[in-house]
Amino acid sequence: MPTFVYMTQCDGCGQCVDICPSDIMHIDTTYRRAYNIEPNFCWECYSCVKACPMHAIDVRGYSDFAPLGHKVRVLRDEDENMIYWKIKYRDGRVKEFSFPIRTTPWGSIKSPSDYEAPGADALSSPLLAHEPTALNVDSLPTLPPKKKTGVMP
Amino acid sequence: MFISNPFAELVAFLPPLFMQAYIVLMIVAVASGTIFDVLHKRSGEFFARQRAKSKAAAKRQLSGMDNVSLAVRTLLKEVLTSGEFHNARRRISHLLLFYGFVLYLVSTIVMVFGYSTQTTVALWPALWNIGALMVLAGGCWFFFFIRVDVAKEGNSPFRLVRADLFIVSLLLSVAFALLWEIVQTGGNLTATIIFFIFYISFSTLLFLGVPWSKFAHMFYKPAAAYQRRVETANGSSDLPTPAGRREGR
Repeated sequence: MPTFVYMTQCDGCGQCVDICPSDIMHIDTTYRRAYNIEPNFCWECYSCVKACPMHAIDVRGYSDFAPLGHKVRVLRDEDENMIYWKIKYRDGRVKEFSFPIRTTPWGSIKSPSDYEAPGADALSSPLLAHEPTALNVDSLPTLPPKKKTGVMP
Repeated sequence: MFISNPFAELVAFLPPLFMQAYIVLMIVAVASGTIFDVLHKRSGEFFARQRAKSKAAAKRQLSGMDNVSLAVRTLLKEVLTSGEFHNARRRISHLLLFYGFVLYLVSTIVMVFGYSTQTTVALWPALWNIGALMVLAGGCWFFFFIRVDVAKEGNSPFRLVRADLFIVSLLLSVAFALLWEIVQTGGNLTATIIFFIFYISFSTLLFLGVPWSKFAHMFYKPAAAYQRRVETANGSSDLPTPAGRREGR
């Protein structure tokens, strides 16, 4: 169920480009609007749908298992720190749900581009990007050094 | 320099009728380019279909006064104050571009048609210069720092794509207009003619490029914003209603 963009609503702000964990939301070079460059690789995480301030991103259900006009729409309310969902079922029923999203204000978490780019030596490190500082710890536990095993005579 | 009409001094090498005919041609080019754009991209058809869909799914019918009120709110928020931008930097840059362009355009038309052969009221050349500087300030800020290709995609600010046709032709047109005014004040006729040719060339590109550039967003963005307001007001929007505003609460 890949995402798609309503071109008339998108204003090309790039929030979806920042947030997409698959790096498949990009900006079109003709109209400067967002689009999904690789629908096959979209895992329907809804990150971009929730992040879009214009509500310009929607998710298209594959017609083999989500036919007959079902719909899942999301509205993010930054002031209330809430996410609202509106589910339209295939039989026409509509249900709405509200969930609190987080305790920190939207936008207060640094985007990847705000961090310093790691050097090439980071490739051989067992740590993931921005560990351990991003985990708010001084260091991560490591395995004790491997004991040398001698060859039995 | 900033209080004399730069178009009045054009009579040294061009009759006033030339600029007047040019402006009329450019207005025709924008109008026909927009109509072509609407037909070619079928955006008019899209809006008509959306409107019909919204009407069919409406939970309450809007009166004429409701529609006028929504149109006024769209004009005040989305058009006059660029309220749809959630990023303050984008909003300020867009406002500088919008009001700068309006000042620049209106003062150009007034000076070319109203004061082509007589002394210009100092206000119009001043507005022309202020408008041009506002466009340059807002446009360069947007182009080099805020543009999504640069700020989010990480591309070089000098990488140009078709979506840049509008902003680049606008910035170059305005920049060469100011340069032309400066060299004209200096009295060098050859340099004046060269800069004037650049100014007219980029202005022509700006207005003739409407079907291929983002120029038409000035017209369809307010239409899209108005349609969104109508859908929210008549209950046909497929977006969830915030909990506090749901019926029965």
